[in-house]
Amino acid sequence: MTNITLDVFNNINTVATTAKKESFTGETLQCRAGLAPGQQRFLGLGPQIIGVDGMNGVRVGNRIIGADAPVTVGWENIGRVEGGPVKQLVFTWFQPMVLFALIAFWYYAPSEIAVASTAIWIGICFKVLLLGLEWVNPRYESWRLTWKECATDVFYVALGYTLLSMVDNYIGGDVMIEAVQNSFDWDKFSWFTGLPLLVQALMISLIFEFGQYWMHRGMHNWHPLWITHAPHHYITQLNINKGAVGNPIELFLIGLGIGGFFDFIPRAFLLAGALGLAVGTYQHINVRFNTPRWWRFLFNTTEHHSVHHSQDYQATRSNYGATWIIFDRLFGTCVDGEAELLGMEGGRRMPINETMTFPFTEGYKSIKEKFRGRQEQTTTLPAE
Amino acid sequence: MKLPFIDRIWRVKGSLTLEAPLSQEDAFDKLDPLFQTHGTSYQIEGETLKFRKHNPAAQDKLATFTRGSLRVVNREGRSELTYDLTSPALLACFLAPLLFLAFGQATIAIGEYEKSKTEARGDSGKDSEKSEKEDKEIKLHPIDIALGAPEPKKPDKKDEEEEDKFSPKAANILAAIFAALYLGGRMLEPWLIKSTFRKKLSGIPLTSDGKPIDRIEEQL
Repeated sequence: MTNITLDVFNNINTVATTAKKESFTGETLQCRAGLAPGQQRFLGLGPQIIGVDGMNGVRVGNRIIGADAPVTVGWENIGRVEGGPVKQLVFTWFQPMVLFALIAFWYYAPSEIAVASTAIWIGICFKVLLLGLEWVNPRYESWRLTWKECATDVFYVALGYTLLSMVDNYIGGDVMIEAVQNSFDWDKFSWFTGLPLLVQALMISLIFEFGQYWMHRGMHNWHPLWITHAPHHYITQLNINKGAVGNPIELFLIGLGIGGFFDFIPRAFLLAGALGLAVGTYQHINVRFNTPRWWRFLFNTTEHHSVHHSQDYQATRSNYGATWIIFDRLFGTCVDGEAELLGMEGGRRMPINETMTFPFTEGYKSIKEKFRGRQEQTTTLPAE
Repeated sequence: MKLPFIDRIWRVKGSLTLEAPLSQEDAFDKLDPLFQTHGTSYQIEGETLKFRKHNPAAQDKLATFTRGSLRVVNREGRSELTYDLTSPALLACFLAPLLFLAFGQATIAIGEYEKSKTEARGDSGKDSEKSEKEDKEIKLHPIDIALGAPEPKKPDKKDEEEEDKFSPKAANILAAIFAALYLGGRMLEPWLIKSTFRKKLSGIPLTSDGKPIDRIEEQL
């Protein structure tokens, strides 16, 4: 049973107010909305859970998903790879094969090859390959990469490699960690280096992910952080470099990690990086895969992340993970599904200059409004 | 402002002879969907259509060319579409290498400054303490030894790392990438837009025709 059916089943009392439960077989929950087809705006609950009036959406956990914009919920309703057996084979096995190949490579590569520069080149080549896959088998035609989008995305990636990396030398996570360690004279947790390599890699990945999850969730729940993250939510399609699109402050904040507090063997960092590359990259990608069940249970997928980027407000407050989805499952923010219509303000594209200034202009506006609100409160005296 | 030759960087002019003669009204009617998009304003004066797009969506077929004019001329029983399009995106991409070359130079300057600062300070005791810590031998777990993972090598690259931190290499590579992107875009985009005009005027549907929301509603 998929997570969403479980979530909805747990909340069946609420769903039942708008949808008529037909049967529950133990494997699938079947219910249909008692609405005319024209009213069924909520998408994709297929044979399991179909259609709830667009103004109401569907209750998933403690939230209503799909009230503002179409979102497909439930794995059973997500599109499959179309085409012949070879295409099916490639797009079913590509993700796990690449993951295991990369893990094997970093595990056994001689020390002369197992260095950061190799990882960077593998990362670049992998992204070029994925661009090719976007061309061959796009998830949505409306997300197809154009020259302008490609150039814009590369601009943000380039900022990350130049301007941000310059700033990181002075105030990045590693610098902060070093400062904390020096001031308290802490020794690192050196016993970690004695653990098996794959355990170390898993720990690095999960520690970093845990920090990212809460930072990302904080960005969606606290206004000062949100205004740094909001520009990233103005993207209207997912392509492999879209992860870099956003205000540099946000990219700096999301890149902060606490993994540096612990000592690990360098190879373990490379293995953890391979996990990030072979899983995290698929967050923003326009490729249709038949992702295996175990993968989508453990890892964040394009499907999850498209729900997070949808035009539906409540859907954006879900799936905060980067590489893993398990923290979302643990903390009740996971919505299994997918969406095509992405963005904010009905899909308005945010230009580069606005992306750069947004946190400052919005921050100024918010402070001004708050100040004006206080002034009004003090000048408006209650009637006696 | 007229800047002959230089304006070829961001301006695209071209013409297209239509397969079947079309009146101006019919031709502009067929092209109309290209201008029924978010942030687009246009006006038709006689045989000329002038348009302007403010921040078009990624999915807009004319996203690269945000200003321009189209003219349909009927001559000797044949119709011809001529167009003159302006692309701030192409201009920005043309200038991007300069920005990244500047970043590269700034990185070198910062590196030089940091180097002189370190030299002025002299070697501190901290470094030797650190290297002592780093010299500690790292042993693999028995499971990894059994599985055949290579022994870890002692790190010997502190200075290289410092140099890498202030290397202009990334900025220079990116400047080259933008130069290549510009050349690619300058050749590809005029070809694509001509093809879009031809398809629209011939009534051939584009693969991305139709808004996703309309398609989604059709499916319901």
